[in-house]
Amino acid sequence: MHELSVCQALLTQVSEIAAGRGAAAVERIVVEVGPLSGVEPALLDRAFTVVRTGSCAADAVLSIETPAVMIRCLTCEAQSQTAPNRLVCGVCGGYRTRIVAGDELRLRRVELRVPLAAA
Amino acid sequence: MCTTCGCNVTPGNAHLAQERGAGTAIEVLQDLLAANDRTAAHNRAHFDAHGVLAINLMSSPGAGKTALLEATIAALRDRYRIAVIEGDLETDNDAARIRAQGVQALQITTGTACHLDAELVHRALHELPLAGLDLLFIENVGNLVCPASFDLGQHLNVTLLSVTEGDDKPAKYPVIFRASDLVVLSKADLLDVLDDFDPARAAASLRALGRDTPMIRTAARRTPALEPWLDWLEQELARPRALSPSLRPRIAAALRA
Repeated sequence: MHELSVCQALLTQVSEIAAGRGAAAVERIVVEVGPLSGVEPALLDRAFTVVRTGSCAADAVLSIETPAVMIRCLTCEAQSQTAPNRLVCGVCGGYRTRIVAGDELRLRRVELRVPLAAA
Repeated sequence: MCTTCGCNVTPGNAHLAQERGAGTAIEVLQDLLAANDRTAAHNRAHFDAHGVLAINLMSSPGAGKTALLEATIAALRDRYRIAVIEGDLETDNDAARIRAQGVQALQITTGTACHLDAELVHRALHELPLAGLDLLFIENVGNLVCPASFDLGQHLNVTLLSVTEGDDKPAKYPVIFRASDLVVLSKADLLDVLDDFDPARAAASLRALGRDTPMIRTAARRTPALEPWLDWLEQELARPRALSPSLRPRIAAALRA
């Protein structure tokens, strides 16, 4: 379960941001996890409940956004939504495609509670 | 009370605001594995500086990664200087098998970790002199899921699919197969006796991942059956590597583009 490693990396990033802003606590963390990132959102969520213990994000909510897989065909330029294991063009059937969305593994936003003196 | 800027804070309620503080949202848009990727870039620069081609070898457990390496080293050790980093949960059995072929092998035991990451490889590199090497294989932990998410600093990803597995593996594990620069159908000498593995179906499910990834067959226990693999390796070894930007596998180029 590599979600634990990913979650530890997430918490390190969030802790650095929170410390940099003098935050008292982290309230909410928003991440994007695409189906082609290789990370399972449900497992990441479970890992988070373990990793956050005793950290500045101990009471934080983890919101996981899961963008759909979207590809653009390099032959006919068409853009189509598709399944993670079906990355050929939905219009012309060409296999030369580029991933437009669906491979994200990204920290999008952190919501902090900052003491008024530091805000 | 305004919870954004605290403009409604009065002497009467200030203590509440002080305890609660003000909410602030920060847009980050940073890759979750940014720290791993920085270490991977450092490893890659290290390989480039020494002119070493680094190949990350992945597969499910038992697909024949170590057997392929043994046969490869036996075939190429007179012409190229080769070393291997072995990743396993436990034991240094695989490193011992590689050392028996007369080349350097460094074992990383990951404990319960299901994959190698850039930091583990970085630590291993401190114990493995790269000077004089041509080719470094990093044999990842046998697993078709977790290793796919971690850039190690390698130049190329090679994934083995043994013909004793299902020919629909690329459809089941799209992330790792999409990240592959080469797919090796290993134990291909068994195709004659296994009528349920269709190489054409394996190729079709690989092609459905939107890549023209080459697929070759090997049989590590039959020396002549290694030729397509050795040809591919020699072609990659002949490619100049100290280019800028450095050669990066599809996994890194595609996921981090």
